[in-house]
Amino acid sequence: MSTIVSVQNLSKTYGSGLKALQHVSLDIAEGEILALLGPNGAGKTTLISIICGIVTPSSGAVEVAGHDVVNDYRESRKLIGLVPQEIALEPFETVMNTVRFSRGLFGKPRNEAHLERVLRSLSLWDKRDSQAKELSGGMKRRVLIAKALSHEPRILFLDEPTAGVDVELRKDMWETVRELRASGVTVILTTHYIEEAEAMADRVGVISKGQLLLLEEKAALMSRMGKKRLRIELQSTISSIPPTLSRYQLELGSDGGSLVYTYDVQAERTGITALLNDLSAAGLSLRDLQTDQSSLEEIFVGLVNAEDGQNG
Amino acid sequence: MNLQAIKAIYIYEMARTRRTLLQSIVSPVISTSLYFVVFGAAIGSRIEEVEGVGYGSFIVPGLIMLTVLTQSVSNASFGIYFPKFLGTMYELLSAPVSFWEIVIGYVGAAATKSLIIGSIILATAGLFVPLRIDYPLVMLLFLVLTCVTFSLLGFIIGIWAKNFEQLQLVPLLIITPLVFLGGSFYSISMLPPVWQTVTLFNPVLYLISGFRWSFFGQADVSIGLSLAMIALFLAICLAVIWWIFRTGYRLKS
Repeated sequence: MSTIVSVQNLSKTYGSGLKALQHVSLDIAEGEILALLGPNGAGKTTLISIICGIVTPSSGAVEVAGHDVVNDYRESRKLIGLVPQEIALEPFETVMNTVRFSRGLFGKPRNEAHLERVLRSLSLWDKRDSQAKELSGGMKRRVLIAKALSHEPRILFLDEPTAGVDVELRKDMWETVRELRASGVTVILTTHYIEEAEAMADRVGVISKGQLLLLEEKAALMSRMGKKRLRIELQSTISSIPPTLSRYQLELGSDGGSLVYTYDVQAERTGITALLNDLSAAGLSLRDLQTDQSSLEEIFVGLVNAEDGQNG
Repeated sequence: MNLQAIKAIYIYEMARTRRTLLQSIVSPVISTSLYFVVFGAAIGSRIEEVEGVGYGSFIVPGLIMLTVLTQSVSNASFGIYFPKFLGTMYELLSAPVSFWEIVIGYVGAAATKSLIIGSIILATAGLFVPLRIDYPLVMLLFLVLTCVTFSLLGFIIGIWAKNFEQLQLVPLLIITPLVFLGGSFYSISMLPPVWQTVTLFNPVLYLISGFRWSFFGQADVSIGLSLAMIALFLAICLAVIWWIFRTGYRLKS
């Protein structure tokens, strides 16, 4: 897939001296869903604000479909739709007018049929003549998406799209994003909900303290970084782990009837066979076995903590 | 040039005027009519003529200027402050529009609104007092230039203001006193010589004087000087806006 957004060595230091971004480089492929994960204040919003033209970079360059976002801003911005983190709508304006305004602002001639399609796809068509102040929080957020889609962008930035949104609406939002991707739109979303990145993204970037700690395929990331846990249910309870099993660093369940073995999926030897043999040699009979893989959340916390450890 | 964007901003802003018709248009017309009643009829009946013009008629250009100046400033400042206040500024900053296109859209709408109000007041004045306009084209030129210049000033104030109080501050504390002291209701020849000199430092005097000249062919200062002054204000406002956009002052971090 071709690169649609190219970020090269981007840094941003605010007037207050805050280094919001430090030498960030990344390429975003056309048609993918990229999730930028990071704690609050990590620099996610600054990164997308620079790409969209709201914040001026201190150094580095960004190109959108080959157009520099500073020197060739008209061409680059035409391709981008931005859904901001905060709900910001003129309260007395109707949904239709506000969406029509956005389309015009991005230089597109009136196209009521397109706006109708967008509003219908976001279940807002019935509300087209309602003022923004009459809408629920979830609907307002969808209006922001409709505004961003009004000018038929090729790239959509969603800054914390489901912050403060209830579970059901969050699932709806994910569905909307998947449909957008299916229609060929590249989606970049920032989130601090790991669940969101895990559910939607093709690739995941982790940002912390203005630095891009990693960027890779979600599946590869999970298998590379992921630890697996083997839970061993015993036929009878034990009060302590036999010394012959100490090298496996097992955890004994609180009821004494189970053991947990954590191993690295990527390791040449997982040690499972040896463990099972040693369990048998120690006279322990097994009732059941099950494995589960660590989530992105654990990977993410691990990464951010590791970085804190290095800096601290 | 992104003409669609200018059109979109202009239409959007004019729609706000329609939504708030009572506040936007009816209210300034009523308050100006009250000035006519109080100054024109009640006080004016005791003042015969000012430089050969009936007092009621004499104050018409000043009253129109008073309203047009304050309305231009408040419309334009509110127009650009509102997106800042609501947080919708992100859309303007991320759109493929140049800053000048944003200015044309917002200032164009604010100036149009002031022009409409000015015209309505002129028509209303015709109901109260006999009116003559010696130089209609010059009158129109002055009106348009004033609407545009002071809408630009309002735009600057809207960008500068951090809260609603600051938004009100400049119109209330600077524009209104300057208009009142700039000869809206009198000719400066009626003042003692010292105050005549002081008044010459009031920029609004030149606007009112030039505007009044277009009606009655007489003025406190020459029409050429008045035109030069409004051109100077226009240039200053444009320069400040150019600087704001070049530096991103209170718009971009």
